[in-house]
Amino acid sequence: MYQYDQFDHAMVAARNAEFKDQVERRLKGELSEDQFKPLRLMNGLYLQLHAYMLRIAVPYGVLSSRQMRTFAHIARTYDRDFGHFTTRQNIQFNWIKLADTPQILEDLAAVEMHAIQTSGNCIRNTTTDQFAGAAKDEIDDPRPFAELIRQWSTFHPEFTFLPRKFKIAITGATRDRAAIRVHDIGLQLTDKGFDVYVGGGMGRTPHLGHLIKSGLPGDKLLSYLEAALRVYNRYGRRDNIYKARIKILVSALGPQEYARQVEEEWATLDQAQIDAPHAEIARIKSFFPQPAYAEKPFDVASLERAKAADAGFARWVRNNTLAHRRDDHVSVTISLKPTGLPPGDASSAQMDAMADAADRFGYGELRVSHEQNVILPHVAKADLYELYRLLDQNGLSSANVGKITDMIACPGLDYCSLANARSIPLAQDISQRFADAELTDKIGDLQIKISGCINACGHHHVGHIGILGVDKQGEEFYQILLGGRADEQAALGVITGKGLSAEAVPGALERLIKLYLELRTDETERFIDTVGRLGREAFAGALHEPA
Amino acid sequence: MSLLNSSHAPQLVSDQGEVNVNGWTLLADDDALGVDQAVLSFGRAINELDGLNGRYGVRVAPGDDVRKLAPFLSKVALIEVAFPGYRDGRGYSTARILRQDLGFDGELRAVGDVLRDQLFWMMRCGFNSFLLKDADPAGAIRHARSLYTHAYQSAADGLKPVWALRHPA
Ligand code: HEM
Ligand code: SF4
Repeated sequence: MYQYDQFDHAMVAARNAEFKDQVERRLKGELSEDQFKPLRLMNGLYLQLHAYMLRIAVPYGVLSSRQMRTFAHIARTYDRDFGHFTTRQNIQFNWIKLADTPQILEDLAAVEMHAIQTSGNCIRNTTTDQFAGAAKDEIDDPRPFAELIRQWSTFHPEFTFLPRKFKIAITGATRDRAAIRVHDIGLQLTDKGFDVYVGGGMGRTPHLGHLIKSGLPGDKLLSYLEAALRVYNRYGRRDNIYKARIKILVSALGPQEYARQVEEEWATLDQAQIDAPHAEIARIKSFFPQPAYAEKPFDVASLERAKAADAGFARWVRNNTLAHRRDDHVSVTISLKPTGLPPGDASSAQMDAMADAADRFGYGELRVSHEQNVILPHVAKADLYELYRLLDQNGLSSANVGKITDMIACPGLDYCSLANARSIPLAQDISQRFADAELTDKIGDLQIKISGCINACGHHHVGHIGILGVDKQGEEFYQILLGGRADEQAALGVITGKGLSAEAVPGALERLIKLYLELRTDETERFIDTVGRLGREAFAGALHEPA
Repeated sequence: MSLLNSSHAPQLVSDQGEVNVNGWTLLADDDALGVDQAVLSFGRAINELDGLNGRYGVRVAPGDDVRKLAPFLSKVALIEVAFPGYRDGRGYSTARILRQDLGFDGELRAVGDVLRDQLFWMMRCGFNSFLLKDADPAGAIRHARSLYTHAYQSAADGLKPVWALRHPA
């Protein structure tokens, strides 16, 4: 993975020194909360309902075991012994004391991490495919370009006060696991350069991104992004924060006109000053080699024996592993969705265990996925059973990846001041309702995504089943959306049926699933495909109790 | 951005930390042109500069397309870029276009909600003077200049991006 040089270190150290000074002034009362707020937000420090929350950037979701151990240390020392992995491939600590933040940032800097640009109207952490560099269907590795974007966007002087936050996602595989069409800019790396999608987003007015350029060479990426951001910075709406995202500008202008303006701006730029030279791209690429693969003799028969002897293991292998570019390896997803616990949470002991697992079986490397799970991208098949047992001893062996209980949920009313409704307890109820492994497997691939309000932090627009918390005369209600998807066939879900109370949701889902199981052609037809074939109207009735 | 010291009256300070008296006067659109060092509104500038002699100041609002000034820049000595609120970042693009696309080399001044925490970004985008709301304008400039020794990207201040230092030509 990327390693800081003297310049990267100096940049983070300078910011930390500045913020340390600001925290001290705040603690001494020289700064009021009003004055301090914009400063702390530049450093990922939010004030939530009950306490400060610190959001730490995990650049494009890539993490070393050493960095994971630092998260464990932060959870243990400064928080309530847990942390929360987020849909933005980052981690958040929910119970932070202001006075501790300079020390936390120093601890992070020691392992080349920071909280810079994890909030505010700037270019946020670039997200990518959690299986980058490992997946069999990869065309090119997106991580070096994500790092290139990280550096270019860090403290970009022109784009620190954009109309609204700006999120870039990038994938290099044929299957889109980075949800690029619902990001402000989505980049698809192909063998002919980048396809650039612009104007996707969720929130209260969801849009899918439009293709505005194909075949953009990697060595022209930064100047093209600079032009795209400049057009947005100049013409994006600033009169109404709900209309300030680039999606609104692109749909007002039309994607073609927006693209034309970008080309025009691009032509005015001194591109040679903006685009890093080949030598720099090569330098960054050199940090992302394939691991020094262990040649472990792998014997299919012994794996099959272990599976036959341990049904839990067999299920875990089936659901939590993905084909690797090498036949003797797989990528393993560690599900952070055990029955009845908040999606994405991990204790300090679990973080340490994941770091140990990475060191012993995964070449020291981990990833965070936007589905709020943790990934070991490279695991020798010969090690699978030992890895499974280590994870199992630490409550990390849930075998539900991609299944109905592998939900995304935003923090909701338990933490968030904008929430209409709770998300986490509802996710817990649903996971309890579908705790039966056999049933879960029978249902197959199904993504439920829950947001506690229209801001859509929980991606409800692109859940196969989306759940949206709304406030109806002071009561929490939930609307159900059907038909959304975040992959290469991205689509927005549509609200189906009337709002439901929290108690009614799990039952409604049960009826919905029962109907799906009756209607599907066979077990290879996934829920989303059946909804696609029959239309969501066919399912609307099931959401409500028969009168 | 912080609202630090925003109660202070604005003082004119250069990017070198020199505090100066502001000799320029912003004219209303119906004011006569007779004064020395007159600052014209953007609309007036693009309508009238063609027929004028001498050198003027121009006030650019966030929504103004500064490229329309291109034909008249030889008559412009000062451009004031307005920041009605610190969150409105359009002026940063305006400044870079002026410096890097149009080649404007006169005084480029940030006015309005200009606070010490913005100076670093403003200087990188090519501003070289500020009507700054701060008790210690010279100190604020010094502080902004001392924050970062390197930058990841090139902008209008001539600082070489880190990649150029990593790969000297
Ligand atoms: C707890 C306090 C939080 C608040 C107050 C908050 C606020 C918001 C708001 C206002 C939006 C809408 C932005 C827009 O449409 O312009 C939004 C969108 C979003 N937020 Fe949050 N959020 C919170 C937590 C989170 C968490 C924990 C995550 C996961 C890392 C997250 C990820 C997202 C995502 C993915 C979107 C939607 C995608 C987009 O259009 O940008 N948020 N958030
Ligand atoms: S979706 Fe709404 S409730 Fe959930 S975290 Fe975002 S702002 Fe808060």
